[in-house]
Amino acid sequence: MQLLKKPQNNQKQRWYVGVVFPYRRLFIELWGFLVKNLFSDKKTIALLSLPSIAVITFAILSPLVVSLYFSFMEFSGFGAATFVGMDNYQQLVLHDGTFYRALGNTFLLMLVTICIQNPIAFMIAAILTKLKDATSRFLRTIYFIPATLSLVVVTKLWVSIFNPGYGFLNKLLQGIGFKNIQIAWLSNPDTALGSVIWIMVWQGFGWALLFYYSGLMTVPKELEEAAKVDGANKFQLYTKIIVPYLLPVIQSVVVIDVISSLKQMEMVYLSTEGGPGDLTQFIAVYLYQKAFRYSEYGYGNAISVIFVILAVFLTVFIQRIFSERSAQSKRVDA
Amino acid sequence: MYRKIGLFALMLILATTVVFAQGTKESDKGETIVLRMGDNIPDRSTGWGAVIERINKDFIEMHPEVKITTESYQDQAWQEKVKIYATANQLPDVMKYWSFSTLLQPLVDGKFVEPLDMDTFKQYGYMAGALEGNVYNGQLYGIPVSADLWVIYVNKALFEKAGVPLPESWEDIVASVPKFKAQGIIPMVTDGKDGWPLCELFDNIQQRISGSFKPVADAIDRKARYTDDNFLHTARYIQNLVKAGVFQPDLVTSDYGASRNLFGQERAAMYMMGSWEMGLATDPNFSTSFRENLDVIKFPVIEGGKGSHDDLLAWFGGNYIVNAKSEHKDLALEYLEYYAKVFPAYAWETQATFPAQKVEARESDTIVAKKLLDIAADAKTTSGTPGLDRSTAAFKETHQDLMRRLMSNIITPEAFVVELDAAAEKAAK
Repeated sequence: MQLLKKPQNNQKQRWYVGVVFPYRRLFIELWGFLVKNLFSDKKTIALLSLPSIAVITFAILSPLVVSLYFSFMEFSGFGAATFVGMDNYQQLVLHDGTFYRALGNTFLLMLVTICIQNPIAFMIAAILTKLKDATSRFLRTIYFIPATLSLVVVTKLWVSIFNPGYGFLNKLLQGIGFKNIQIAWLSNPDTALGSVIWIMVWQGFGWALLFYYSGLMTVPKELEEAAKVDGANKFQLYTKIIVPYLLPVIQSVVVIDVISSLKQMEMVYLSTEGGPGDLTQFIAVYLYQKAFRYSEYGYGNAISVIFVILAVFLTVFIQRIFSERSAQSKRVDA
Repeated sequence: MYRKIGLFALMLILATTVVFAQGTKESDKGETIVLRMGDNIPDRSTGWGAVIERINKDFIEMHPEVKITTESYQDQAWQEKVKIYATANQLPDVMKYWSFSTLLQPLVDGKFVEPLDMDTFKQYGYMAGALEGNVYNGQLYGIPVSADLWVIYVNKALFEKAGVPLPESWEDIVASVPKFKAQGIIPMVTDGKDGWPLCELFDNIQQRISGSFKPVADAIDRKARYTDDNFLHTARYIQNLVKAGVFQPDLVTSDYGASRNLFGQERAAMYMMGSWEMGLATDPNFSTSFRENLDVIKFPVIEGGKGSHDDLLAWFGGNYIVNAKSEHKDLALEYLEYYAKVFPAYAWETQATFPAQKVEARESDTIVAKKLLDIAADAKTTSGTPGLDRSTAAFKETHQDLMRRLMSNIITPEAFVVELDAAAEKAAK
């Protein structure tokens, strides 16, 4: 009875505190019992791990294995599949120019998001932390609106803006003096890729800003004050103190940018479908087109296998870079 | 506390039991049979879509226990959906698809399509050769619903506004471009994003130059090469049309709906498309002035070319098939026969599309409908299945992609014919 006795007057606490706190001793006892009697038993550990292993096996590993299997096949999606060994990979790696174009565009998008979008988002976030609360909140809302819109809406919006006939951009340019201008932004080989990347960066900017703003708000004031006392100017404050402090946040944003660049699909599909030609082709769109339009299902699977390897490699690579950086700054601190 | 939890758990179990028990009871009794359908006609209120809805309504009146659910997407999306459904064994019971070997044959080979009785459908007045396009290994697998003629729709008011006579040749069209542009009018629009209309243009221009549709079939069968002079000349000619500004500036990113709307909203003077768009003349979504000024002309000739106006790029494309693995196969077959019986009358009555079955011309027919009947009657030679649909799915996509590249000026005509020939060679192996 003593264990179940509820404490009084805890209205300001969060709801879960209200649930857990009254039975804290019961939970502690129970946890102790589990650790001592159940978790030390290997069979129990195996049993408890089973659901998560099952999820990983059926939701992640099985599709990968199936994909790997079909990547060695010539298969139209239905009917019989023929084993072709490494032919799909050979064709993909040695002869497929569109694949390398898609890969190049994906890396270009990564580069733009990491080297242009991120620094700008960081700078604007830093400015926002120095503004009055109301102004900052208003601007944050404005910057974040594109991120809250559906991809379809954003893409269709920009497709309309870029339309050569009635699009806002051409009208604006004509209005400021370029009377004869009529650029088909998404169809012209010179402007198509830039226009598509602009749509992606525009939509993703809000997320980067949100991450950096939240990170900057967690930087302790004492740290800034101590740096100022030590004679650091504003540039040094950011480069020597705040950026290293926010390294985990930057790492998260970069990883998200890399993954979203790799899996770009809907926006390209809805705007250019990779055209004109293959100038705006990205890996995920190319994979889809090969599998479901060209009915080269085996080849599409070969692309997907390379795609997974690439995604894993890049994620590990980035984590390596950041963990080394983090270790370096710790050594400097010591 | 424990009693409350126990009570709640008991209620949850009871509720779940009731729900599942009810579900089984309904399906056992077979009160409602859901017939799943699919097609590429998203607009169900006008034109062809409205005709299908009318047929569905008739069928439900004949079979009150039947409920019909329809999925509709644009062409490309529908084709992709069918492939995914086939892979997952979830094809609709009855669906509109295409008779082309690139599309129907893989489904037939995979035993997804129910064979039909030729004699049953022969009685419904199909044009010569229409049903035969759906025969694989001696078996009929689908019924054609439309005869597709490749034509140019024109807005006569915009021609008058620009002071341009209706064109006889592509040279006339090129000469009219500055006059249209001076009035802010796009000379010609078509669906360039999907690519296939560009391939139809390629086949047709090739015919106007060489005087025959046969080289296309020969190139696919490897009796001729896409690198031959007639094809190279065709590629050069088409790229020059783009350079002359004949088409909308965003041709390769302008999809079916966007190009159709540009024409329907009277921003473009010509719309290159098939006869299935004859419903434009009665489409209430567009203005009365548009509908009154709508006309259709034969595909223009090329000065110095051997082809004439009366060589017609025409085929039987739109097609209906029954899922061989359908749970309601008999009902689906009955629906298909009813469709074949009433479709031509219903479609012609509302001037929704040009049926693949014989129809009676009427005084009240729209100008477009009358002209299309004349175009079909005047035809001295016809193409049959277009080139891009005579080979494999990969060849079709490559052809479409190459056309988009050619018409974006990112590939030379010389490189275009070499790549197209390589694709045909690969497909023939």
